[in-house]
Amino acid sequence: MRRTRLRGAAIGLLAIGLMMLLVACGGSDNGGGNTSTGGSAGASTTSSAKKVGMALVLPCGSSDPWCNQGFNAAQKLASEGVVDLKVTTGAPQDTAGASQVIRQYAQTGKQLVVAYSTWADATNPVATKFPKTNFATFGIKPTSNVALFDEPIYQGAYLAGMIAGGVTKSNTISGAAGQDVPLCHAEMQAFEAGAKRTNPKVKQLTTYVGDWNDAAKSQQAILGQVNRGSDVVLACGGAQATGMAQAIKGKNVTGFGYVSDTSSQAPKNIAGTVIYDPYPYFKKMAEDTQAGKFQPGKLYSFGMPQGGVKLELNPGYSVAKIPASVKAEVAKVQKQIMDGSFKVPYVPTGSGGS
Amino acid sequence: MDWGAIFGGSGLTVLFSSAVLLAMPTALAALGETVCERAGVLNLGLEGMMLSGALGAFLGAYYAHSPVVGTLCGIVVGVAMGALMAFLSVTLKTEQVINGIALVLFAQGMTAFLFEQLFGGEKQPTIPGIPDLKIPLLGSIPGVGPVLFDQNALLYVSGGVALAIWLLLMRTRFGLSVRAVGERPEAADAAAVDVARTRWTALLICGGMAGLGGTLLVIGDLNLFQPNITGGRGWVAIALVIFGRWNPLLVFSGVLLFGFADALQVQVRAVSGGTTTAVPYELFQALPYIVTLVVLVTATVVARSSAQPAALGIPFHKDGGRS
Repeated sequence: MRRTRLRGAAIGLLAIGLMMLLVACGGSDNGGGNTSTGGSAGASTTSSAKKVGMALVLPCGSSDPWCNQGFNAAQKLASEGVVDLKVTTGAPQDTAGASQVIRQYAQTGKQLVVAYSTWADATNPVATKFPKTNFATFGIKPTSNVALFDEPIYQGAYLAGMIAGGVTKSNTISGAAGQDVPLCHAEMQAFEAGAKRTNPKVKQLTTYVGDWNDAAKSQQAILGQVNRGSDVVLACGGAQATGMAQAIKGKNVTGFGYVSDTSSQAPKNIAGTVIYDPYPYFKKMAEDTQAGKFQPGKLYSFGMPQGGVKLELNPGYSVAKIPASVKAEVAKVQKQIMDGSFKVPYVPTGSGGS
Repeated sequence: MDWGAIFGGSGLTVLFSSAVLLAMPTALAALGETVCERAGVLNLGLEGMMLSGALGAFLGAYYAHSPVVGTLCGIVVGVAMGALMAFLSVTLKTEQVINGIALVLFAQGMTAFLFEQLFGGEKQPTIPGIPDLKIPLLGSIPGVGPVLFDQNALLYVSGGVALAIWLLLMRTRFGLSVRAVGERPEAADAAAVDVARTRWTALLICGGMAGLGGTLLVIGDLNLFQPNITGGRGWVAIALVIFGRWNPLLVFSGVLLFGFADALQVQVRAVSGGTTTAVPYELFQALPYIVTLVVLVTATVVARSSAQPAALGIPFHKDGGRS
């Protein structure tokens, strides 16, 4: 009997091993196939020798709004022949798991490893072991070979808020974010501040859903906000953006997308998207790596004037009409942000609004 | 905090219809799990089955441009996962706990891998959904109407299936065999019940139900797929089966209670939120778990007996009884 049991356990372990193997194949390097053609086909040996070996580690699939932007920016750089790219999509989101993927790339001699999430805890221990490799991630403090990205999407959210203030009929707008992190907090604060600029009567409801991945729950949270009177919604988070698109389509209200253009999901309802484009970041990091100027690690900052952030309006938006006066005001403020004469208040934590 | 916005008039309608929507995918999976656990198989692979069903449904609807085809694909993929679990646990008689966990890991990796291979780098693809269906007359009843009779068409089908599962398990000869096999497989075997076949069937039903749960999420609600879209609903379903004392009605009520608490915490935060967190959302997030735990633990204590199927998790060896 014991033998049978042992045999059972052995077969079970074998099964789990085989399945883990499949999982590992699914989790890593599946972007490699996509990237191998990235600009290298026609390049000469000399130019290919100059290419920076870059690895991009994404916490989600490359169709997710957040990861899609990172993926496309890196692909663009590869197709321009600047980098020789490897991508991991859907990397484990926990520190130990992410750290393993990052380490793998450092071990295989990549010059620039970009951990495209708030992965400082996962990156820093690897970075100390591979001092010659350049790393980049989202975090608070750069180290000798770990540089940081900033995420000034609040600048675009301010303009979106100005439009929201102009189109709301109920004077209630809302925002739904995955967690109360500085990125989303600042975005929500700026959205509210922008709305109050064009419509001082505006009141904003904000929900932190507490989950970055649950689109169904985000959708329910947003439906609750709409029921409470909100007729313009801003999302912060991939699942929040997809949940929002479904909610605003059903209720026929206005929404603003997050990071990458998702207007195809609700073509009439999405007024615009606060786009975050990591391309200028990747480009500068690759150039610095090539020139040997990457270290010591610094904060790479590309706001609206530098092309890192913009508000992209959706021409198909038809739920409400943006008043001409608001459009003109938005254009004016955008110009002021671009030339530096106006700085959108950055409120990453605490209060500053309602 | 404006409680009137949650519990008054239209707020209450939103709360309950939100509760039904949030609960139903979990309810389907939990009822499926009840069937296979009553048959003596501990299926921890439920989350994986839901997730696979969700992807199957998405791909079916995407390529055939038909939500009906998608729904069928979701169920078929769920049944296939049930068959895999049955092959490992019933035919090979390997450790059920290991099989279940392996199945979840396999499904998580496989669905993310397939989705990435097919749609990687593209904008989020969407599929045609099944429309909402307002049932004439019933849908106009104030209060109850919008909650129960003005929902997605697939939700009614799901409700019917849930009822059918209860009838199947508690009121049919097959249901009796399932329960016998889960309690005393030797006795069932002596009474000419084919233990392996009954457990196989129970797992296929369980897989189909979990697949339908995943399908409901994708086709009835979101009209898109994302890796890990089920967000742990399968694990919650397993817990609710245990807390619901393996009784389909109690399990179903438990899931509804959980769904209600979940909807409540979402609505509380939707209504209370200023930009600065007015309510500590981490605390509210735990609400569904706390409420369900308290109610069902109380129920267990009051009942004072274990309802767990006696042969749960133990492979059946025809020649030598339990190993």
